[in-house]
Amino acid sequence: MSGDGATDGLTRRTQNSSRELLAKAFFFGCAALSVATTLSIIGLLVYEAAKFFTISAPLLGIDGPTATLTEFFTGSEWGLQGPNLGVMPLVAVTLMVTIGSGLIAIPLGVATALYLSEYASERARSYLKPALEILAGVPSIIYGIFAVAYITPVLDTLFGVDGLFNVASACIVVGIMILPMVASVSEDAMQAVPDDLRQAGYGMGATKYDVSTGIVVPAAASGIFSSFILALSRAIGETMAVTLAGGSLARSFDPTSLASYLSLFDPDSYLEPGMTMTAAMIQLLTGDVTGGGLAYRSLFAVGLVLFVITLGMNVLSDVIARRYQEDYQ
Amino acid sequence: MSGSYDGFGRVSRRIGKLFRGVLFASTLAGILTLAVLLVYVANDAFQPLTADPGWHLVFLLTLVVPTLATGWLSYRRSYGTLATGLLGIVMPGIAALYAGGLAALFIDVIPTLVWLSFVIALAIPAGVIVALRRTDRSVPFLAELSAVLGVTVGSLLVVPGLVQGLPTVPADWMVLVLTLGLPEAFLLGRWIEGRWGRRDGWIAGAAILVGSAVGGVVGMVSGFGAVPGVALTLFALVPTGLYAAIVVRERPDRRIGLLLPAVIVVGMVAGELLVGALGFAGPESWVDWSFLTSTTQSGDPRSVGIYSGIVGTILLMFVVAAIAVPAGVGAAVYLEEYAPNTRFTRIIDVNISNLAGVPSVVYGLLGLGLFVRYGGQPTGTLLVGGATLALLVFPIVIISAREAIRAVPDSARQASYGMGATRWQTVKNVVLPRAFPGILTGTILALSRAIGETAPLLVIGAAQVFGVPDSWTSTIGAMPLQLYVWASTYASPAFYTTVLAAGIVVLLTAMLSMNSIAIYVRNHYEQR
Repeated sequence: MSGDGATDGLTRRTQNSSRELLAKAFFFGCAALSVATTLSIIGLLVYEAAKFFTISAPLLGIDGPTATLTEFFTGSEWGLQGPNLGVMPLVAVTLMVTIGSGLIAIPLGVATALYLSEYASERARSYLKPALEILAGVPSIIYGIFAVAYITPVLDTLFGVDGLFNVASACIVVGIMILPMVASVSEDAMQAVPDDLRQAGYGMGATKYDVSTGIVVPAAASGIFSSFILALSRAIGETMAVTLAGGSLARSFDPTSLASYLSLFDPDSYLEPGMTMTAAMIQLLTGDVTGGGLAYRSLFAVGLVLFVITLGMNVLSDVIARRYQEDYQ
Repeated sequence: MSGSYDGFGRVSRRIGKLFRGVLFASTLAGILTLAVLLVYVANDAFQPLTADPGWHLVFLLTLVVPTLATGWLSYRRSYGTLATGLLGIVMPGIAALYAGGLAALFIDVIPTLVWLSFVIALAIPAGVIVALRRTDRSVPFLAELSAVLGVTVGSLLVVPGLVQGLPTVPADWMVLVLTLGLPEAFLLGRWIEGRWGRRDGWIAGAAILVGSAVGGVVGMVSGFGAVPGVALTLFALVPTGLYAAIVVRERPDRRIGLLLPAVIVVGMVAGELLVGALGFAGPESWVDWSFLTSTTQSGDPRSVGIYSGIVGTILLMFVVAAIAVPAGVGAAVYLEEYAPNTRFTRIIDVNISNLAGVPSVVYGLLGLGLFVRYGGQPTGTLLVGGATLALLVFPIVIISAREAIRAVPDSARQASYGMGATRWQTVKNVVLPRAFPGILTGTILALSRAIGETAPLLVIGAAQVFGVPDSWTSTIGAMPLQLYVWASTYASPAFYTTVLAAGIVVLLTAMLSMNSIAIYVRNHYEQR
């Protein structure tokens, strides 16, 4: 930061020349553009989604089909023919992908972070870390093709699945995609644990295993936990891999019955196709979305739900990382 | 740590070893899964098992064995020798890739005459700027600015029309020699002059210019094409030659490393000749010339090609870089060099990290609403797609540029201010030049993220079936979009393990080439 007094003093005489002002205005405009982007995302999503709901659409002059809030949040079917405009069936499959990918990425990610932070030599780290970054760098469309072309056949031999599409293959590829995020954020948190604590542990006669599980992991818990939330929010926003792998067949899901929630944890239901929120958005694009019709408006309604969930999780992860961080200074 | 005293003093190595093994296996699990998947993709794309055993044997003897032997010899001398050799084969490969992309642009997208007219139109204001710099600095800034802006606008309005109305026009390849070869010869000549002396600089400059013309003629005569000939000469042969010359002249201890690329090239040519002579059939690879250059869209896997996707991706990356890099670096400069420590600055700070976490499909919605529905743009054009992807990578560019700027030592700034420099002069002359490698690395990595993005392009309505774009307003394709079209429209096993595998190879090659450039830039400047 160059906001210090000495620099201000040294540049005071020149700071109001037209060249300086022009440069500053340009840089400020660029920074303000980032705020403008956020505001446009929020404004646009809210405004267009408002045209989708019966409660607000007449105010904006929309007289096409709309959805009541009850229908949107408690309806058990999704589909523009009908139209059945319940978003919960899509949220449910998104939740399944989040659970499934979390089951893969969280244990593997924490173990990876622990290995890299506590056990790996400097040389091993220099090879393993870029290799892990590659996992996150492969485009999601490629993961989608992997899921359909290579992982589904394996699942078919093991468990027997019908057709090309199922939720399980989506969970596997998304799990691989978000693994580096769990690993790198957790590892940063583990590296931030001061060495004094480890040395104290060794001084007490603890083994490396004791120190890793008994000192490092608890001390880094807030960072590890925030990495889970961050990675899961990435899984929720993931689009192309789940669109290709899960197929585009909306399931029915009754948000008012307990049994349907239990089915989210039923392994068999993972072997069937399912459409997430993001996949539904891609499917809506096959309709006409430029004219502002029902497809366009429901696109933004689903998009708003997605945005609110991911933003909420990102903020939550930030809060956890900050508030519960142990301060060793 | 159990809190009980029973276990004290009894230490089992077994648990520790087991735990370590489990952690190591978990670390490798993801990497190995991806590696296995990539092996499957490579196998499906190149079909190496369909080749004659004789074909494999010939290439084993002419290419693989000599390469491994030379590589081992280089490594025995020193690790640096091997690295020199590897760079000598990787760099020309990547350079040829990009030269090919550039040639594709000039053949199919940009009419060379239009290109020439705009280069001339922009050369005039550049000349004015240079002339103003040469005069004494008594010109007031605002007068200077308005003069430059006036000349730029005027020349852009007048000159292109004049040039395009000329009765006789030079051939395509001559335009390239003039507009690309001449500046390259001048810049590299100046650079070599500073390095090895005036005479060598002149020789190199002349050689580059003549070489590019010869490349055009050879390309025309051989049927390879004049434009690709010039492009390959300028952007693949010249850098390769320069690299070899630098190694030979300045690193005599590593000279032997250049044997590796030589052995590989000779081995490939010899293997190709032998295979042809002996009549061994090669593999029925899906990544072949017709796949790379065909624009056909149909249900027949053998006839389709990815060409329009490649051209679309190149054009999109230009637009993304042109928008996201100045804006992102500008925002980073503001936050690091200008921003007072106020509430607004902190809001921007939090806002950027949250923007980086917004799902890419939501950026597509932003582009759809902002540019298409309310901006009045047609769906799926180059500008809309590029602007949408630029917004997507904007926070990534800001974050990496801030890191690079923060790494510039404060003493450099203080020295500049102490000499009486203004803020803008300090940013321009001290901060940005020193942060440049870091900014470049971050930019390339951000672009390699944008290259694989599919969902935003789908949402803004990029065409599902598309050709090579011929204007700013024609709908554009991209490599990942092409993959999605094949995967969804022609969803059959016949497509998944054939054309899609080949498409994955092409897309990953483009990404890896960008990433390796970024890594090279980072390592090169870290050593300083």
